[in-house]
Amino acid sequence: MKNSTDAHSTDEHSTRSRLPLSALRRRQLASLAWVYLVFIGLGTVLLGTFAIAFAASLKEDPLENPFRFIFPQISPTVWISAADLGRQGAGDPWWGGFAPGGDIEFSLTYGAKADEEIIEPIVEVPRRKPGSGLAAAITTTFASDYALIELVGTSQNSYELVDQETGQNQSYLSKTYDYRIRYDPDQVENIKVERTPFTALAPRTQTLLDSTLPVTQMERRGRVASWNNITPGALGLIFNSYRRVINETVDLTTGDRLFFKWMGNSFTIAIGRVIFMIVLSSLAGYALARMQFKGLRLVFVVVIFSMTIPVQVTFISNYLVIRDLGLLNTNFSVIMVAIASAHVLLMKQFFESFPKEIEEAAMVEGANRFQVFFFVVLPNAKPALIVNAIMAFQGAWNDFFWPFVLITSPPSALAVPVGLLSLRQSYGAGQGDWSLVLAGAFISIIPVLIMFIMFQRYIVTNQTSVGVK
Amino acid sequence: MKRFNSNQAFSGWMFLAPFLVSLGVFFLWAILRTAWFSFTDYNLFAEPNFVGLENFTSLVLDELFIFALRNSISFALIVTGAQTILALLLAILVNSAARAKGVARTIFYFPSIMSSAAMTLIFLWLFQRQGLMSGMVGNFVNLRWVILSFFVIAIVIQLALVAMARRKYIGVKLFDPYFLLISVLVALISAVIIRMGGFVPVYDEKLLISWLNTREVFLFMPRTLWSVALMNIFTTVPTLMLLFLAGLQSVPISLYDAAKMDGANVFHRFFNVTLPSLTPVTFAVVTLGLIGTLQMFDQVAILGAAAPLESRVTLAFYTYYNTFPPGGSPNIGLASASALTLGVLTVLIVFLQRRFGIKEKLE
Repeated sequence: MKNSTDAHSTDEHSTRSRLPLSALRRRQLASLAWVYLVFIGLGTVLLGTFAIAFAASLKEDPLENPFRFIFPQISPTVWISAADLGRQGAGDPWWGGFAPGGDIEFSLTYGAKADEEIIEPIVEVPRRKPGSGLAAAITTTFASDYALIELVGTSQNSYELVDQETGQNQSYLSKTYDYRIRYDPDQVENIKVERTPFTALAPRTQTLLDSTLPVTQMERRGRVASWNNITPGALGLIFNSYRRVINETVDLTTGDRLFFKWMGNSFTIAIGRVIFMIVLSSLAGYALARMQFKGLRLVFVVVIFSMTIPVQVTFISNYLVIRDLGLLNTNFSVIMVAIASAHVLLMKQFFESFPKEIEEAAMVEGANRFQVFFFVVLPNAKPALIVNAIMAFQGAWNDFFWPFVLITSPPSALAVPVGLLSLRQSYGAGQGDWSLVLAGAFISIIPVLIMFIMFQRYIVTNQTSVGVK
Repeated sequence: MKRFNSNQAFSGWMFLAPFLVSLGVFFLWAILRTAWFSFTDYNLFAEPNFVGLENFTSLVLDELFIFALRNSISFALIVTGAQTILALLLAILVNSAARAKGVARTIFYFPSIMSSAAMTLIFLWLFQRQGLMSGMVGNFVNLRWVILSFFVIAIVIQLALVAMARRKYIGVKLFDPYFLLISVLVALISAVIIRMGGFVPVYDEKLLISWLNTREVFLFMPRTLWSVALMNIFTTVPTLMLLFLAGLQSVPISLYDAAKMDGANVFHRFFNVTLPSLTPVTFAVVTLGLIGTLQMFDQVAILGAAAPLESRVTLAFYTYYNTFPPGGSPNIGLASASALTLGVLTVLIVFLQRRFGIKEKLE
């Protein structure tokens, strides 16, 4: 994109001149503009994909077609009414619910042509299980057992619209029904229900124009308007699928919340791996960098070789070793099967650049190799150790293969990536409940994301070793 | 002196000991055992019996293995090639925007911190039959006439502008950046007008594409794996681009100046100055890319029932599949034989690459 002019053609075309300086300057600016356009375009495609996937994880139906970019979960006016409804239902504007003392005002507005009659819809708090899969099995309380609905008022309105086909003015009628949904005061159990589903059945001649909270979906060919939860609270509305993925992945025998267990397992594995890698690689890296003895060259060759060979080549034997040690289904097994070669090379590189003179001075004063290493070299190796720890943490947190092979049961023993796979099998495959799967995926990257933001300058300097996979 | 040396050797081995134990048990011993198993009928429970080359012959006769071999090799070559070339081109394209710093760097590095599991799940959603990817491709197909007119208008205006300028000036290039900016902008506005005014047909067909659940093969690789390849390239290219960018910015400018003085044009400078100085980076990118893609496993396992086995199986997955066959008894002999094949194949491809492809160092 650099401007170069052919010097030798000047004489042949004496009638034409070179581009004036101002034009050349314009071209320089234009090429710069192109470069930035490419940069921005690339960044947009990259971040856009994640942004859209994140938006979809908030939706009730991430697979809706066509994809809407404006939906209730990102609209501030809906947030306000959701918070209001959550406060009325359970005194909690953030996460909502339906609790004793709950008293909700909910209105529906129907519209129809002036010559049609608008009749009162049949409303109900249905006994409905949320979502699909596991959720159905663990739900034991239903808002329908505690809700009393009464119609407290109606109002009528008329308006005119231009008919799109005939072009004539057509008069319409709209009718608003105000309902009051109360928590049954005769119930003494004091149970708080997480969500309050709501349905309204009306003939197809009248359309639902407005409601306190946007309708979740229309069922039975548009006759039943259905809300999954009319007391969501603001966060309960926005992060519905995130709350569900945490609450609904439950071990059916113990009742534990699996997602937290998985996160805990992955943390144990990652921290263990960090310690394991740092100990092994700093010791071995120092030996490879600083000491001369027979066999050193061979060790180095094996280190390189071990980075070339896929883990699947060694996994059968490693699985057997772990099995024979009785360590299957433990976090410890996943920590110890990893080979530290890449980390060893990283430390070797660092120690080679470490000034020899300091060590030699310590040696002259009578310190042995181990003392030099622990008291002189290691305290100065902090940057390399941090890079090493980050690589190990990220690698272990994201590792799929070893946890997949070595930890298969019980469900609470899985690591996050394998847990995500089980989530997909129970929600994504048959049920099509993709918002849960996406929410799980996004929750799973939070720890690495935080680490990435905190230690960014260390990570980016070492992209060669982790960038390719 | 002798004592000192043996002393050093002793402490050297002591430093290495923990790592060597791990390497010995979980790598060297594991490879030897895999090699031994590949000549036996081991099934995880009964004592292994030596069966000679039987496993290797049944491997060659197994259709699924042939699929796995084909898929692994094409996937590795296609993804490594595409990601390297794309990253290199992008790096060269944006090189003049000084260095990618701060926010830009963070954005481009972001995909590579994500786990393959999270990434694959997001892409699985994207690649559903009625998903967003189908919707986007559908949009392009429905707007094909608008898009075509955009390109026609852009090309016509660019050619006209260049032709006009060439009558007066010399040294106006076909892709003159200033004119290109004008013609693309004008074409964009006209395309919007054409779309709004309905001057060309715009279709409203709903396109459903089976990105994953298909047996169709396109250019030596099932469509399923093309989708996976797309995802891999998408996640690696930005990070690799940063690597190349770092490499490019370490090329001394004096080299370019010298080449310019010698009368080298853009292409000469690219092939004779830029590419050679990027050789070490390119070698690392290609080698690590080949090793990484040859052992592609996570995406295949996470795809699971979303795609037929033969369209997603790779050598790595084939090995796992025979070790823990769903509902069958483990066939460790066969699994070991395919694991060994994968290992030898990886070493062979990396060696061939090094020998005939991009070298480690400048010559």
